[in-house]
Amino acid sequence: MKFREIVDSPCGIRYCFDSLELQSGFARKSLLESPMSISKDEIEQKYASLKVFVDLVENNKSLVQNVQFKLQGLRDILGTLQSLEDGNLLDDIELFEIKHLALLGDDIKRMFVAARVNEDGSACLNIEWVKYDLDRVIQILDPEGLRIGTFYVYDAYSMELRKLRKEYEVDGDNDELREKIENEEDRIKTVLCNLLRPYSDNLTKLLHSLAQLDIIIAKAFQMKKGEFIIPGVSEKTILKGMFHPQIQSILAETGKEFQKVDFSYEIGIPSTIIGANMGGKTVVLKTLTLCQYLFQFGFAIPASEGEMMVFDEIYFCIGDEQSQNKGLSSFAAEMLRINNVLERVEHGGKVLSLIDEPARTTNPIEGRALVCSLLKMIYGKSNLSLVLTTHYNVDNGGRCWRVKGLVEGAKGISGLKMDYSLLQTENNEVPHEAINIATELGISELWLEEAKKYLDKTK
Amino acid sequence: MPFIGEILKYHSVSIVGLEKNTGKTECLNYIIKRLPTDYFKIAVTSIGIDGESLDQVTSTAKPEITLREGMFFGTSEKYYRQRKILSELYQISEETTALGRVVTAKALNEKKVLLSGPSSGSALKRWISSLDEIGIDLVLIDGALSRLSAASPAISDAMILSTGAAFSANIKDLVSKTAFVVELINLPLYINNLSKNINEVDATVSSFVDLDSDILKNSTTIGVEGALTDRLLQAVKNELSKGEKELVVNDFTRIFVSPDLYRAFIRRGGKISVRTRSRLLAVCVNPTAPNGIVLDSDTLCFTLSQTIGLPVYDIVKNNYDNEI
Repeated sequence: MKFREIVDSPCGIRYCFDSLELQSGFARKSLLESPMSISKDEIEQKYASLKVFVDLVENNKSLVQNVQFKLQGLRDILGTLQSLEDGNLLDDIELFEIKHLALLGDDIKRMFVAARVNEDGSACLNIEWVKYDLDRVIQILDPEGLRIGTFYVYDAYSMELRKLRKEYEVDGDNDELREKIENEEDRIKTVLCNLLRPYSDNLTKLLHSLAQLDIIIAKAFQMKKGEFIIPGVSEKTILKGMFHPQIQSILAETGKEFQKVDFSYEIGIPSTIIGANMGGKTVVLKTLTLCQYLFQFGFAIPASEGEMMVFDEIYFCIGDEQSQNKGLSSFAAEMLRINNVLERVEHGGKVLSLIDEPARTTNPIEGRALVCSLLKMIYGKSNLSLVLTTHYNVDNGGRCWRVKGLVEGAKGISGLKMDYSLLQTENNEVPHEAINIATELGISELWLEEAKKYLDKTK
Repeated sequence: MPFIGEILKYHSVSIVGLEKNTGKTECLNYIIKRLPTDYFKIAVTSIGIDGESLDQVTSTAKPEITLREGMFFGTSEKYYRQRKILSELYQISEETTALGRVVTAKALNEKKVLLSGPSSGSALKRWISSLDEIGIDLVLIDGALSRLSAASPAISDAMILSTGAAFSANIKDLVSKTAFVVELINLPLYINNLSKNINEVDATVSSFVDLDSDILKNSTTIGVEGALTDRLLQAVKNELSKGEKELVVNDFTRIFVSPDLYRAFIRRGGKISVRTRSRLLAVCVNPTAPNGIVLDSDTLCFTLSQTIGLPVYDIVKNNYDNEI
């Protein structure tokens, strides 16, 4: 799974992606094309380097900012490097690009070395290119030793070229002379390409690691700015004080505060979240999904502390607007999606599935039966973690969490005061607060009165 | 030499023509030839496709731009690869045009080049600011065919206008049409008497929505979002009998109204002002049209100069090099 495939997931990870302050388009592209880490070691390694850069941002911010400024010059020249590798003759523009990359890499390397975060310092442990010798590449493209990021086929490359150019200056309309110069320039470029070819592999690696550097610095700044944390990699997921950054910022615009919540789950035991409407159940699911993706792509997560499990596959099922395009009813689309998850579980990979109100679009009797049976069936599956929200009274097959809900007597800014915190509960009776909430929302009194009468009758 | 000293006072100068073949490129070459290069870093580019060796529309020979040693230029990758000039590459932009990315290089000898720089006003603006790294003192912009956009004060500080027989073959008509453009360029800056904020107007309207006559009726200063069109001008004109009206446009390149309507509006007491102004340094004329018509250069220069109150030059006929 690539980052590109999940960037528009309804969990809202695009907000985190967009708020990354990446310096180059190439880093952005590299991040989108990067695969999700599914190994514990890989994630731990990514976090170890993130940690290093978070420390650097704290202790040597000017160094990091200078490096960032340099990284603005990073360009995607993979095509040029491939062309070099393939044995093609590169032109001025392509040779300029290579020189530019080599000088950029070397400048950044020097910045780290000068700040004493070199090979033996821990900082750049994961940046392989520190070891690459760029001097030779620079030397080839900078015969005058000026270390300036410009390029042309320098006179210094050949006595013959210098002589021809001198002649041409006097005799500017001589086409024969012009051709001779072009031939000599091509000969020099061929030699340059042959000299550079052995370094093409290292240059490609350099290009990728500079993109990684850009990404990791952006992640470190995001962590500092958003007050995110690096979670531990563990065999269960325990998140404390988690929040959804996008919703938090929307609330902040209107002067409201996001109430952080705690949640945990483990493998094999399904978790059910129940609670009043507007109690933030869907937000909890979105935040859990968001955290999981951020975790497995090596980002810091929006929480105050936590540890997390690694999954092979992550499925977030939420009422989907796309189903109609496929000619399916919302019920049919949902059933097929959940069925797909169940099939994936049989394949043996470790699966996390987060489902928002399954079977809510059908009649409550069958809907409830479907949810209860799902919980029962997957209980004890050694490779599945399931979190779902529901309004149905379900038999407790696993752990039940309840949103605290309306705070009686208290009024918030918009009239209602909701406590969004989650409590583990043995009592799985769903709250009956829909009419109260509707009243607070100012819904037609006539309607709600009728509804109350109806309820009394059925009791 | 006229207007060269003036040019050096600005950071960016655009050369725009009212029509193709009005001598814009001649004018640019004239300037380039006379600018001091030894202590002055100069960059030249064009907006959109230009600098082709043959006029794409009328197939008449078009002079290429001759750069002097040490001058910087911005052109597309495609033209850079075809260049005959010896040049050192300094920058490659991230943005692409139809002819590839825009590259910035320094001329190492004197030769002709084909220029095709950034393709839009905003891209051109970004290119100009990227030149800060090189420390360029003056940017010359060759405006594309009959487009004034490069002359927008948002892009260049000052401008030189070229006009000529290609624009109109009748001296009287040519003078009147050119004078109209000059009048728009010289529109006064908007002054807000109540506050210093020039963004503050009684109401803001756009030409492309349903015009709310109440807003037009009840406001004295009316900001125009985007273009000022005949439709909007006519609507405001209709309200003039009921009180003073001042239309505030961002700059003259946003005005697309017919001269007759404009004059009628002004006669009735209407005012048009701009938020930013471009300095018009000079007007150059080319009395020869591609279809063979040749106007009398002296009469044209004299009449036009009398009408617009600015010096007018025919730089092909007279080189003015002895003038101070």
